[in-house]
Amino acid sequence: MIFEILAVGLIISAVLALFLDEVIYAVAALSATFFFTALIYLANNAIFAAVFQIAVGVGTLAILFLSGEMLGDKPTKEASPKRTGALIGAGAVLSLPAIFLSVSGSTGTTSNLDFGDALWNVRGLDVVLQAIVILTVALGIAIVLYEKRKKGGQ
Amino acid sequence: MDFVILSLVMLAIGIYGLLTNRQLLKVFISVELIATAATLNFVMLASSMGVGLGQAFLILAFSTDTAVSGVILALLVIVSKKYGTSDMGKIIQMLKDKGESEDEVQ
Repeated sequence: MIFEILAVGLIISAVLALFLDEVIYAVAALSATFFFTALIYLANNAIFAAVFQIAVGVGTLAILFLSGEMLGDKPTKEASPKRTGALIGAGAVLSLPAIFLSVSGSTGTTSNLDFGDALWNVRGLDVVLQAIVILTVALGIAIVLYEKRKKGGQ
Repeated sequence: MDFVILSLVMLAIGIYGLLTNRQLLKVFISVELIATAATLNFVMLASSMGVGLGQAFLILAFSTDTAVSGVILALLVIVSKKYGTSDMGKIIQMLKDKGESEDEVQ
């Protein structure tokens, strides 16, 4: 039952995020989408995914709130409760296929590979490479800023 | 309850938003929804099969997603600074008007 409620919440918030006219409200709805996604991960014992989703979502939403406030155009018409209600209804209807339909098929062979092994034995190289890329970018920014400061001083 | 269909619905909503919205910020939100749908499908399938690999691949998916978000936001800032709006319809109209006035001068 919990999955169904989360699925309905996820789809409704996704629809609201796309079709609300006010950008700030749309970003707030997107934050609800991220939150519901994290809850679905959590309910399915994918704790790492849930934590990572929230961490990435918080960063994205902070930037989106700022850019939405600064760069977003103001809506020409006022938001009406009737339209919001219609959007929520449309979201609820759209979530029905996910609740009642099912894609049949075998789940395949299950693996004994646990998360720790999978992360460090299979994706370890990715993690290290990403760390190197981020470090290189940070160093590059620091060098550029230092050169700029040096030129400004002269 | 099927997560494949749930992520398919999310993907459909995202693609519809991508095709119909003219606000660049809404386009960005659509891209985020599409990325969330793809990640949801991937993680839930792996998780329901008891494979930890899905969560490990999530790191790669999120890094790509964040990089795409960064590029879109950079484009949004550039366009907003240059044209004073983030509405694609208005920008296209401005470009058309500019092209017509240049033709008249020639």
